[in-house]
Amino acid sequence: MKYADWPLAAPVNITWEITHQCNLRCVHCLSASSEASEDELAFDECKRIVDELAELKVFEINFGGGEPLLKDYFLPLLSYIHKKGIVTCISTNGTCLTDEAIALFDNNPLVNVQVSLDGATAEVNDAIRGRGTFPQIIAGIERLAGKNIPLSINSVVTSRNYFQLKELKELAVSYGANLRVSRFRPSGRARASWEALRLNSLQLKELADWLNGEPDILTGDSFFSISQDGRRQLGLDMCGACKMTCCIDPFGDVYPCAFLQAEELRGGSLREKTLKDIWDNAQTFNYFRNLEPESCRSCPRFDKCRGGCPAVAYFINQDLNSADPECLANWSGELTLPSTP
Amino acid sequence: MQVRKEGWGLLFYHQTRHKMCFVRSGDWLYPEHFDGTWTEQNIIEDIAARTGTPAEIIEHSLPKLTKRLTSSRLITHEVR
Repeated sequence: MKYADWPLAAPVNITWEITHQCNLRCVHCLSASSEASEDELAFDECKRIVDELAELKVFEINFGGGEPLLKDYFLPLLSYIHKKGIVTCISTNGTCLTDEAIALFDNNPLVNVQVSLDGATAEVNDAIRGRGTFPQIIAGIERLAGKNIPLSINSVVTSRNYFQLKELKELAVSYGANLRVSRFRPSGRARASWEALRLNSLQLKELADWLNGEPDILTGDSFFSISQDGRRQLGLDMCGACKMTCCIDPFGDVYPCAFLQAEELRGGSLREKTLKDIWDNAQTFNYFRNLEPESCRSCPRFDKCRGGCPAVAYFINQDLNSADPECLANWSGELTLPSTP
Repeated sequence: MQVRKEGWGLLFYHQTRHKMCFVRSGDWLYPEHFDGTWTEQNIIEDIAARTGTPAEIIEHSLPKLTKRLTSSRLITHEVR
């Protein structure tokens, strides 16, 4: 039995998109963020959610958006969460850092910061994140570097930047940060840019090889469908949606993950139900826990990835019961993957 | 380190390394056993009293678990 088969009474971590407001217009934004939406959660509503997360002993909250630092109550909310002893990871575009925010992050054992950067040069980064953003992001990284703040630089790997991964790693190291790479997925604005920015099969194979030789590069669970065996020892190796994690959107709606925010996949609203109720009883969540794409069951690698990323399969094929379209094993015999011992 | 009770046992979480450890301990162990105030002997006696399991069986099994948690750096000899 693998870890994800051990039923959990509550998520281990939560992705919380606290706002849709963002000052950037990245072409791959998973939530298509731009302006704050009407009826986003109020501070008191967020505190009530945090109270329940603490009661359930959820260990981590990963904040994204939107740009979380643009939410007016974000820093007070962080302080409230830290009083409950919950670890927070703040994903920011690095352009909105204030002295107050940095003071709250510094020397805080419950804070991790991740700055998004999508190229090692302005030309590559700005094609994704917008003209003029590269120096602003670097300035943000420089403000965080040297402080006692666990810092990572996150790059969504696309056809524009995959050839700069080595340089991105060097850039991260030069600031005392880790490089984290995330998988490009066709949700939000990325649905429109998917064909232009997705990696082709050869690039994905090269990426898999590179990651296998770079154990210090963080990936979360992004690349479990292409990860080779050596890398699997580093952490998650299958989709954790509804098993280990879930996502709260700016209105308090709960989804399997940040990349699966479709109405038909909504588990429920925290304005109407408790997270515990949604986690235990939402039909969508129970479906995900038993999801095993039929086309994958005969694959010798099935036990390693369980069909890969449902979000990619869902947005490409409109079918959760299909294999991850970027599965390495599906491509051809030209790709040699380690066999199961 | 944080720990929470699950139906199958305990889920440990190391907050600085973001690592988890699943321990299939059933109803033998509870998070309170790792609050720093319990000795191994106290825990053995507590399990025996609650579950009726003979102490020698617990004495045989518990060190394996604590050794695993120690090697995973989830607990130390100073803070259980």
